[in-house]
Amino acid sequence: MLRSDQIMATVEMVQKENLDVRTVTMGINLLDCRFGSVKKTCEMVEEKIARFAGSFVEKCDEIAVKYGIPVINKRISVTPAALVGAGFSRNDFVGLAKSLDRAAEQAGVDILGGFTAQVEKGITVTDKAFIESIPKALAETTRLCASINVGSSNKGINMDAVAMIGKTIKDLAQATADSGGFGAAKFVVFCNQPGDNPFMAGAIHGIEEAEVVLNVGVSGPGVIARSLKKTIAKKGRENLKLDDIAEEIKQITFRVTRCGELIGRQVSKVLGVEFGVVDLSLAPTPKIGDSVGEILQILGVDDVGAPGSTAIVALLNDAVKKGGIFASKAVGGLSGAFIPVMEDAILAEAVGKGALTIEKLEALTCVCSVGLDMVPIPGDVDATTISAIIADEMAIGMINNKTTAARLIPVPGKKAGEIVNFGGLFGKSPIMKVRNVNKSERFIAWGGRIPAPIHSFKN
Amino acid sequence: MSRRYVISVMSKDIPGIIADITTVIYDLGGDLADLNQSVLGGYFTMILRAEFDGSVTKEELLTRFAEIQSETPIAALIKEVNDVFSKSCGSLPEDTFVVTAQAENRKGLVKCLGDFFYNRKLNVLDLVTTSEKNRYIMIFQVDLSRVDSMKDFRSELGVLGEREEIELVLQHNDIFMATNEVGTALETIIGD
Repeated sequence: MLRSDQIMATVEMVQKENLDVRTVTMGINLLDCRFGSVKKTCEMVEEKIARFAGSFVEKCDEIAVKYGIPVINKRISVTPAALVGAGFSRNDFVGLAKSLDRAAEQAGVDILGGFTAQVEKGITVTDKAFIESIPKALAETTRLCASINVGSSNKGINMDAVAMIGKTIKDLAQATADSGGFGAAKFVVFCNQPGDNPFMAGAIHGIEEAEVVLNVGVSGPGVIARSLKKTIAKKGRENLKLDDIAEEIKQITFRVTRCGELIGRQVSKVLGVEFGVVDLSLAPTPKIGDSVGEILQILGVDDVGAPGSTAIVALLNDAVKKGGIFASKAVGGLSGAFIPVMEDAILAEAVGKGALTIEKLEALTCVCSVGLDMVPIPGDVDATTISAIIADEMAIGMINNKTTAARLIPVPGKKAGEIVNFGGLFGKSPIMKVRNVNKSERFIAWGGRIPAPIHSFKN
Repeated sequence: MSRRYVISVMSKDIPGIIADITTVIYDLGGDLADLNQSVLGGYFTMILRAEFDGSVTKEELLTRFAEIQSETPIAALIKEVNDVFSKSCGSLPEDTFVVTAQAENRKGLVKCLGDFFYNRKLNVLDLVTTSEKNRYIMIFQVDLSRVDSMKDFRSELGVLGEREEIELVLQHNDIFMATNEVGTALETIIGD
């Protein structure tokens, strides 16, 4: 048997620090579901998802009970819908969206991702129809998440797509105005979107992937926050330096990652499905004690957004990667620290105090994954300003060879400082102020592409 | 023909005991297989398996152990066996779990858990107990391959914990291996 102190340390992580597996996401390739008619294609999509994911939730729960580690979310990602529905019209895509929604419901998962197009270099006729379908598709479904990749380090940024997306987000928020623009919370814009990300709303089953794979997202930031608190209390703040803190984070992440991969591999084994990757991302939830913002406060800033916040996120992100990569055979997805404003109670609180601004969030996204995530903005912010904010965020990803994303929610009828509450995992927050509104129209009107950056002379 | 023995020895813990015991085995031409030793409350105990030539008797071994010059005499218990050696002692059953139990120290805590496992015909593979201030901690390694429903078993354990005011946690042994054994690949732990 292992040493009793090792056993008790692990028990403490599970019991008191709420160690869990944040998500197990089944990726399913749907390219072979494309048939002559839209109706037949939709039937094949539903049949294939049911065939592979029919016992997915049940098996996940069985493994969770057996191992005593909760699996919080069970989800499905699919091949980007714009590829599955090549040649579809706007209404055809709405039909496909409803099929995917039904398939998710039948499989018992709360969210299905992959209503997606990848347009970083150019937009096809199908892509255009797909983008036009997004507001209606998301307004008329409950479990579906959509995403679009508009840029990459290899291809640059498609500014025509960025311009279209600003308007799409406005239309989407308006189409779901009775729920505070909630539709926009299910739509994310990417640069360098990974094909093996298990986290929503941006999960897809990339075309480079095998037929069916399981990807796992590890436990949330709460485990790290509580472990850091315990270490600081035990050793004394005066006896610790930041490199000691980084070391501690690495060690916790190692344990958390091994645990996540163990559960994921066991589910894969039971289902007879290939194991994909472990995504090391620290994904907060609105629950108290499950916050990335709390880690920043523990490490020394009184409010998230205060000077020093970017440096702390850099330390955190790097230590998480180092611990996780050593622990796991296959790391992928986004793998970093998320800073989704509405989904993190401490970040939302910092917005309310005026400590955290969009500009500071943008700076944080330079050193972490993923981007401007779950950011509620006033409903009257115009489409071109939204497109310009997205362009800024995409540029960070493109130049730095990393994934960045924007999930902006213009809340219809609400102004900066007012509260928007989506409940559950989507959380609540004061609406963030957007400065310099209506000042980027001429920039967005250019269209075309921002060329891919040079990949040498890095300074 | 060879003879196989399981030998258990106990003595006050002083330097040189392992050397004394293994010297006896070596001098009698014994081939040492597994060995496990522990020290508790200042007393040393060891259990080992060894194989000897057919001429080495249990009595001869006991005599040689009694001749060891020590502060306290070495108490030895020897059993000749034939079946133990054929069993694999290195790997744990696939359904090995760890039950940790913590409660305010009182009499009968280990018995309480022991009875619980015995009543369900579950084999305890290993047990370590320790006390900290007035808190008693027990760590049972148990083979749960006879358990049909983990859900029901967890529920029964929960009822026991509530009734006896014992904080009980049940985890699969692999979780502890995965989170603590840096050098062991996950495939080795889960048996892929």
